[in-house]
Amino acid sequence: MRQDTRVTEVPQSLPFAVPGGRRRMLPVTEVVVLVILTLAPLALQDYLTVYATRVLILCLFALSFDLVWGYAGIMSFGQSLFFGTAGYSVALIARDLDIASIFVVIPTGVLIGFVGALLLGGFLLLGRHPSSVIFVSLGTMTGAYAADRLARGWYYLGGQNGIPSIQSMTIGSYELNEGPVFYYLALAILLIVYLLCRFLVRSQFGLALAGLRENEQRIAFFGYKVQHLKAIIFALSGAVAGLAGTLYAFHEGFVWPNMLGVVMSTQVVLYVLFGGAGTLIGAVIGTVVVEAVTFWLSNSYQDIWPIILGILLLLVIMFRPAGLISLVLGERERVGNFGRSRQKGGHGAA
Amino acid sequence: MDTLFIALFEILSFGAIVVLVVLGLGIIASMMGIFNFAQGEFVLLGAYITYLVHSAGLPVAVGMVAAPFAVGALGLVLERLVVRRFYAAPIVAMLGTYALGLIIRESVRGLIGGLYISVPEPIGGSITIATLHFATWRFVIVIITALVMAGSYALLAYTSFGLRIRASLENPSLARVSGISTGTIYSVTFAFGAALAGLAGALIVPVFSLFADLGIRFLIQGFVAVMVGGVGSFAGPVAGASVIGTLSAALPWVMAPVIADVLVFVLAIIFIRFRPQGLVSGKGI
Amino acid sequence: MFNSNLSRRRFLGNFAFTSAAIATGAGSWVIRPEWANAGAGPIKLGIATDLTGPIGYAGNADANVARMVVKEINNAGGLLGRPIELLIEDTASNESVAVGNVRKLIQRDKVDMVLGGITSSMRNAIKDVIVARGKTLYIYPQLYEGKECTPYLFCTGPTPAQQCDEFIPWLIKNGGKRFALPSANYVWPHTLNVYARKVIESNGGEVIFEEYYPLDQIDFSSTVSRIISNKVDVVFNTVIPPGVGPFFKQLYEAGFLKNGGRLSCVYYDENTLNINQANEIEGLASCLDYFKALTPEDPASAKIQAAYEKQFPGKFLFAAGSAATGTYRGLKLWEAAVKEAGKVDRDSVAAALDHAKIAEGPGGPAEMVPGKHHCKMKMYTAVAKGGNYDIVARSAGLVDPKEC
Repeated sequence: MRQDTRVTEVPQSLPFAVPGGRRRMLPVTEVVVLVILTLAPLALQDYLTVYATRVLILCLFALSFDLVWGYAGIMSFGQSLFFGTAGYSVALIARDLDIASIFVVIPTGVLIGFVGALLLGGFLLLGRHPSSVIFVSLGTMTGAYAADRLARGWYYLGGQNGIPSIQSMTIGSYELNEGPVFYYLALAILLIVYLLCRFLVRSQFGLALAGLRENEQRIAFFGYKVQHLKAIIFALSGAVAGLAGTLYAFHEGFVWPNMLGVVMSTQVVLYVLFGGAGTLIGAVIGTVVVEAVTFWLSNSYQDIWPIILGILLLLVIMFRPAGLISLVLGERERVGNFGRSRQKGGHGAA
Repeated sequence: MDTLFIALFEILSFGAIVVLVVLGLGIIASMMGIFNFAQGEFVLLGAYITYLVHSAGLPVAVGMVAAPFAVGALGLVLERLVVRRFYAAPIVAMLGTYALGLIIRESVRGLIGGLYISVPEPIGGSITIATLHFATWRFVIVIITALVMAGSYALLAYTSFGLRIRASLENPSLARVSGISTGTIYSVTFAFGAALAGLAGALIVPVFSLFADLGIRFLIQGFVAVMVGGVGSFAGPVAGASVIGTLSAALPWVMAPVIADVLVFVLAIIFIRFRPQGLVSGKGI
Repeated sequence: MFNSNLSRRRFLGNFAFTSAAIATGAGSWVIRPEWANAGAGPIKLGIATDLTGPIGYAGNADANVARMVVKEINNAGGLLGRPIELLIEDTASNESVAVGNVRKLIQRDKVDMVLGGITSSMRNAIKDVIVARGKTLYIYPQLYEGKECTPYLFCTGPTPAQQCDEFIPWLIKNGGKRFALPSANYVWPHTLNVYARKVIESNGGEVIFEEYYPLDQIDFSSTVSRIISNKVDVVFNTVIPPGVGPFFKQLYEAGFLKNGGRLSCVYYDENTLNINQANEIEGLASCLDYFKALTPEDPASAKIQAAYEKQFPGKFLFAAGSAATGTYRGLKLWEAAVKEAGKVDRDSVAAALDHAKIAEGPGGPAEMVPGKHHCKMKMYTAVAKGGNYDIVARSAGLVDPKEC
């Protein structure tokens, strides 16, 4: 796989100079994206704001995948399992217990995602022999597929129908309907989770994960409990996926088996691949770009837009496997710095 | 007792279909180490070509003969253009072939208008033995599958071309050093795998009817079968496909279809977890 | 009554639509009559139906019927002097895609009424977007399991009472007493079977087994074997495409019809007849509000059928199991309601639609039962012979839907 290593000679006197790399584009990119997302509802009509909210929730979902794949090297095709399970659970709570308060459903969704991922991750990753990447991807894919078939067949969960007509989420007595309010709530949640993840992957834990991704055996020889690290990050990503699933269920107003299935999982893999794995912001950019392109294509080229999308994806995979973000960030920045920043003359921890 | 015979026959015919689809997948996985996510779409293409030939007025059987060759040729072209870039990175290969599969699937969907189309079988009706009725066409599928397997085995075991393939399988670098052009071998293998899928699609289209999502159901089954059987040999995918196909067809007879569906995959994953090398470990035939 | 109320809301609505259309491209199928901007602007009619996917054979027929009816109304001067603008969205037999596309009709296009949804799962997925969040009138045109009493949601297709009350006794007389209920696993078969079982048992029949399969199941060997070995007389089938074709084929191959078994399927119409070879479904009985075989005896039906075939020759047939007749009925009833109300807002039209009647429809006249959201219509039982239907029983008059 050809990595794009853009190492340019930068004179030390320039601000933001990093030895052997470009200027710090990552924070700039993040800020730009944040500004665009914050101002978007002012420029879009109501109907497009609703669409954009859905995209934000999917960004959250993509973040969960980037955590495991970009930072720990676990190719999980089963993120939709946690996304969908959380979604179904809160839908059931809303339908059977008539509880739609945000203070109940969000923690529930997060918890379900976390526990589910812990269980599945524990089974797939822990054990004496480290599992191959292929096995993990297949195992997670099978988990998602099995959940999809089970939901499809279980009448209590609505079977093929799923659970329609979920009531709106409530904050106290205020009903949260689709529109700018939900948009900003989703944006706020996305921002908080993004910052938490950022903090996590730049910490010592994140450093160990980066080492894990690059060379698992060496990290193990250093004494790190590799399996535990993997299980933890897997569980955390499950929690994020669960959060996304909860928001999705209440925003769309219904849950159905496809939320659990392989197609949804693969979609999020493609978002992150498109944007660039391992940078968090890449996941967000990838989701926004793919969804925007899909929306525009499906309106303009009604019949053939999936084909065009497929071709675009293929081209990105073939010629720019590091994703769109590699157009902006150098290799050095994508790998990242850890801990506190060092002064000129020293090297980053990675 | 009657039910037992019918059950056995149905299980056998369904298992044969799975074996045919998975064989190509397994050969590609064993030889090149990549999982071809577009395999299900090659099955779809085989079915589609059969339908095209039929709707052009020619007999269905002609379509069924043409399909493997057409799909094999397409596989060759795709391998040359796209797939061979992915050999070094299996994960990228999965995603790249998925994108390929997406393109193929949506193209077919656009061409058939997103509808379900039925194609009649070349040899219809049923064979009656005592009080039991067996669908003739399913019988034919079983026979053709057996012939294809025997033929493939013979090709691998008794020809010099097969010898070169086995050499590339067992030790690629040594094979290359010995003057075997592994690039050509890989292309041919991929084309062969695609052709097998095309044949499977052509044979099953009278049973399943033609629709754009035909390939997706075989994808997961295929992967699980290959992992269960073991990657790296010819017998591995066959064994895995037989087990998965048999289980998938047999379990609905004894329990609710929904649970049966899920149980097969759960059992398979548990099995692979504790025996990662699969049923048949080791390379070669 | 000429209502030239160009409210600011309507103007802004049109402006927003145009700008959105410019911003986002041509969008869904928009059939805008030439005189669209005369007076108060067109009345917007949204059709949300399955143009692709396994139910595409039905959705395309419905979209065609809508085109035909709207053209007819516009050619006659429109509704309330205003032309009807038809917007069609594809629900793609996929509930998630459907919700997104129906949202476009409601939020972007701001339609005055939505007609559509074929399978019950589709109706359940989109009704919330239309009725609750979208506050728009919704007409559901397809035969279904009943129990849909949501305000502002009107059903113009047959209900279990209309399809089973006379049909099942006919089946018992012309098939046998031992019934099997193989079904697709979603809400329509579950609820219909409860009703059917009641009717079967109260007429002296017996339900041997009732089973549910995933919608994409295509291998039915164990079911077929069970049907044969239990000597079932009548298969009351609610498996839908894609499974129904392989199921009937496998049943035929196992010799069910040869041994005198009777197939029955209440959504089977002229469109689905083409899924299987004629000999595989010989003798299949169905009970619907309309069959093409009625055209010799009913001039109104003949006119509608002829008009449809002239405008839309091809493989999407005007058939009752595909919601095409329900679509026609629904649109004509809505037209009558709007004419009576004189306005297009939801409450006025809903009040008028509640008791609307049409004198001429496919299969006969139709009238809404006041307060019940459902429609009385004539029902017919037909049997498939050589790839065509033969009508074998007719209801005495309009049959009550017995819902809500």
